[in-house]
Amino acid sequence: MQIYSDYKDHADFLTIYIREAHPTDEWRMKANEKDKDDVCYVQPKTLEQRIVIANDFTRRFKFPLPFGVDEMNNAANDAYAAWPERLYIIDENGRISYKGGNGPFKYDPKEVRAWLAQRYGDVKHAGTAQANKS
Amino acid sequence: MNRWLFRTTVSVGLFLVSAFVGLSFMAGGPKDALEMVRFALPHMHVGTLKAGDPAPDVRLVALDGKTRFRLHERTSRRPLVLIFGSFT
Repeated sequence: MQIYSDYKDHADFLTIYIREAHPTDEWRMKANEKDKDDVCYVQPKTLEQRIVIANDFTRRFKFPLPFGVDEMNNAANDAYAAWPERLYIIDENGRISYKGGNGPFKYDPKEVRAWLAQRYGDVKHAGTAQANKS
Repeated sequence: MNRWLFRTTVSVGLFLVSAFVGLSFMAGGPKDALEMVRFALPHMHVGTLKAGDPAPDVRLVALDGKTRFRLHERTSRRPLVLIFGSFT
C-alpha cells in the first residue's frame, strides 16, 4: 500500500483476487486462526463467495487500491501463473515489463518499487518514511 | 543381489523420510506438509510469460459482483502494477 501511495500519480495499480491460498478445507494455516487475525474461509465454489471474501478483505484493511476478482474459471490466475501471489508490471504498450517470483518466498514488492523508482525517481511520502522508520 | 536391493530400499526410504521431514519443517508440521503436497503444489506454476510478452487480456469482476471489465481497459495510459493474491 505504501508503494501505491508513493507512485499512484505515475502508475496505475490493480489488485486481482484469485483462489484462496489457505482455506480451511484445503491447506489450513494455524496462523490464520489467531484471534486478532482470524481469517477463516473455505475455498469459494461460486463467484458470489469470492466477492464476499474480496469485500471482507478490502473492508478490513480499508484497502484503497483498485480491485478485480478472477472469475471461477481462474482465467487470470492461469494466464499469469499467479497463485498464491505474484506481482507484475505491464508497460504502456501492453507488454510484460516485470514479472515477480511466486509468493510467498519470491514475492518481493521492493522489486516493484525499484522498477518505479528507476523510471520516476525515488518517491517517499511523509507517511511512508515514518512507516519505514518504525 | 538381495544385499543390493536392501541397500537401495534403505537409501530410497531414508531419502523419502528426510524429504518429508524437511517439507514438514518448512510447512509447519507433518499435516501441513501433506496438505501442501495435495493442495498447493498442483496450483503453483512458474508460467510461460516473460518480460516483453504481450500481457494476456482477461475478464475480471468488480467488487459489486456484477460489473465486468477487461484487464486491457486498464492499460496503455501508464504502467500498470498487478498484485495477485488472496485473503488467506
